[in-house]
Amino acid sequence: MVISPVHYIAVPLLAAFTIPLLSKYIHKELARIVPGIVLLYSVFVSIVLMMQVSEVGVISEKIAGWSAPWGINLMFTPFSGFLASLMSVVGFLIWLYSYNFKKIEQSQSQKYHILQMMMVTGAIGIVLTGDIFNLFVFMEITAITAYSLTSFYRERDGAEAGFKYLLIGSFASVMILLAVMILYTQLGTLNMAEIAQNAHLIPTPLRATILVLFLVGFGIEAEMFPLNGWAPDAYSQSPGPIGAAFAGIVVKAGVYALIRVIFTLFDIHGAYDFLIYGGLITMIIAETAAVAQTNLKRMLAYSSIGQMGFVLIAFGIGTKTAIIGALFLMFNHAVIKSLLFMSGSYLTYNSLNKKISALAGLGKKLPIVSLLFGLGAFAIVGLPPFSGFWSKLYVLTAAADQNMLLLIMAILAVSIIEIIYYFRVVSTLYYGKQEDEEIKVQKPSINAMVSMLILGATIIVVGVYPDIITHFLNNAADMLLDKASYIQAVLTQNIN
Amino acid sequence: MKKVLVLVLLVIVGYFLTDTFNLIPFGENRIGNPQDEQTVAGYYLNNTVEKTSVANTVTAIVVNYRGFDTLGEVTVLFLATTGLGSILFRRKEDEEEIERINKPSSSLMQTGSRVLFPLIALLGIYVFIHGHLTPGGGFQGGAIIATGFLLMLISYKNFKAGHTMLNWVESLAGITFVSIGLWGLLTGGTFLENVLPAGELNNLISGGVIPIIYIAVGFKVAAELTGVLDILLNIKPKK
Amino acid sequence: MQNFEQYNSIITTGVYGSAIALILIGLYAVLIKKHLIKIVIGLSIIDAGVHLLFVAIGYIKGGTAPIFSPGNEDAVNKMVDPVPQALVLTAIVIGFAVTAVALSLVIRLYKHHNTARIDQIKSLKW
Repeated sequence: MVISPVHYIAVPLLAAFTIPLLSKYIHKELARIVPGIVLLYSVFVSIVLMMQVSEVGVISEKIAGWSAPWGINLMFTPFSGFLASLMSVVGFLIWLYSYNFKKIEQSQSQKYHILQMMMVTGAIGIVLTGDIFNLFVFMEITAITAYSLTSFYRERDGAEAGFKYLLIGSFASVMILLAVMILYTQLGTLNMAEIAQNAHLIPTPLRATILVLFLVGFGIEAEMFPLNGWAPDAYSQSPGPIGAAFAGIVVKAGVYALIRVIFTLFDIHGAYDFLIYGGLITMIIAETAAVAQTNLKRMLAYSSIGQMGFVLIAFGIGTKTAIIGALFLMFNHAVIKSLLFMSGSYLTYNSLNKKISALAGLGKKLPIVSLLFGLGAFAIVGLPPFSGFWSKLYVLTAAADQNMLLLIMAILAVSIIEIIYYFRVVSTLYYGKQEDEEIKVQKPSINAMVSMLILGATIIVVGVYPDIITHFLNNAADMLLDKASYIQAVLTQNIN
Repeated sequence: MKKVLVLVLLVIVGYFLTDTFNLIPFGENRIGNPQDEQTVAGYYLNNTVEKTSVANTVTAIVVNYRGFDTLGEVTVLFLATTGLGSILFRRKEDEEEIERINKPSSSLMQTGSRVLFPLIALLGIYVFIHGHLTPGGGFQGGAIIATGFLLMLISYKNFKAGHTMLNWVESLAGITFVSIGLWGLLTGGTFLENVLPAGELNNLISGGVIPIIYIAVGFKVAAELTGVLDILLNIKPKK
Repeated sequence: MQNFEQYNSIITTGVYGSAIALILIGLYAVLIKKHLIKIVIGLSIIDAGVHLLFVAIGYIKGGTAPIFSPGNEDAVNKMVDPVPQALVLTAIVIGFAVTAVALSLVIRLYKHHNTARIDQIKSLKW
């Protein structure tokens, strides 16, 4: 069988429908193992397709035999393929990490793993689809799994966080639906390439309306200020690995949708400025709020929002270097934030409460986890020789090329804030005074350790040899900026 | 104070919506002449009969042209049931402590619903079997069947929706949908491709895989909705 | 003929107007009401309004259903746009799923706090 992009979607769906029967009639453990196999298969699909795509340029696949714009099509471009591969790898590592997660009860783990697998699948669907309504459907798949997983733990305030997220998320979906509706009345098509081709035919007031509705709708998923009220609660109340999934997968999908709308669908100059200003405000407010947090996971959540603001700024600059930087940032954010959430949730699990001050002295009790957390902290603030350094360098170079001095100063100032609050945690870990000697330490299981070590190794390897990844980023940035070839690739499907 | 702010917001949103939809006249022909095939809708109207032999264009769009959306939609329902199960999760020992929230109903209601239930189920099955010929289809038929189950659930306190059966139905229906898709991928080259012969227009057996998928969707929707109703009704702790 | 025009404008105002009114009513409920169930109802009403709008944009004056049943085979030129109908089907199902999840969250919140009023649930900032 030829590997094609639809495997990303079809195989997990088949597995999700089969797992309830498998676990009931064959073996209970299959409910936990099968999602892992499926996610590993997604990683395999990514590797095969990434190798193909560097030769062919674009892999486009028709669904149900109808070529665009009559049917839905999946587009595996270097840009979307890069994100899909990133999501599948992070998704697999999150599965590996949570395979033995202590706090998930046996009878409920089946649902946890199905939901986590479908979250990854939904996000990959968002990235791959070439149809705006299909994107909405996948966004809802991701959102519903996210609501359920946010409120997964009964003992926490997960239900509040989940309800809040659901409320804001519903507004997002209403706005996206309205935008799709108005778009359809104007162009009579839902295919993104055709919309991109004809977007200039829409009368200006309606075009502005559609753009605003899309920006607000996807801005909510992308944690843009002031639409990110759901994020800190959702991150801090959900299970630890799901915090990693939010940072590594869900938000990435939101940013992708935002970028796709601005870069491909409506190529309006004002939208780029909007990204810069929106990103800047998001970044400054979130990073300042992060300093004030006493709860580790909330701090990580605000830091995550700030990083997404940074990504939006980088996309807003809009030159090729900036886009490479933005994609590099997305990669780093996915890898490093996942590591921080994973190691951070072991640290908080072993402290009396979730406060940062309660982490004192854990550096000696959990040496490897603390070391990995420290590695993540150093990497995310952008210290050389870790991978975070390169992405910041790319964005700063791009900003310097455009003579955006104020922006550079803002980014550097925010970096200092980041250094302050991350180093506070690391120093508490190692030099803080222990209050209670008697805490029994829960050592991470082997699979969680392997998962975290893979992420840690990635940070160091990419930091030392950034060329491994910049090659892909280069192609991806070219593809994103080359709107014409995207349109052509979709609309000439009929020939083959 | 808050009310005033909200009212101002409502006025703004209302103005914005009316303003926008004033630019989109109601009842205007936006698809053009279908024979020109300029728009997607025109293409569908002009080619559905010829290419898929399905009388109901909406069904052809839902199941075939945009079948991927429908697969996603079925998945959303499946995930909602799974999510509901995880949100309202109970430990095994608590399971005994739960009962239905409704009070026992009168014998009039009970007899009535017992008579109506098979008829409702029959109507639902009719609606989704004829989804490609008449208005309706899997979602509508499934919803009708679920209302029958709702009637039984609220009139009989001891009526069990049969979790094993629901699990089997929803899993098998979902597997059928994806397997037909994969069958298309293996034999026709694209996922969800209509690999069976299209047949003759307005025959019950026509449209290739479209009716099969819609029947599977019907069963799946009925099972999912019944499952959701069952979970949401069984929440009262026993004293 | 003038009568028809007048009639048509009433219909236009009626369909769009009621859809927009539904959206506004739902929005009001979500923003003002303190009871969680009422908020969920508000969300459903907004959804209903959006779905009504969605079906309305596909309507063509004097059009018939896009179904080629016997006797209707030649009506291609008179049929309404089938695409919004197909899309709204998807949107309704998604709305249902979100409502179900929302209701289950309300049940959890009620069990946890013994109240379903948003102003009495204070563990997280609203």
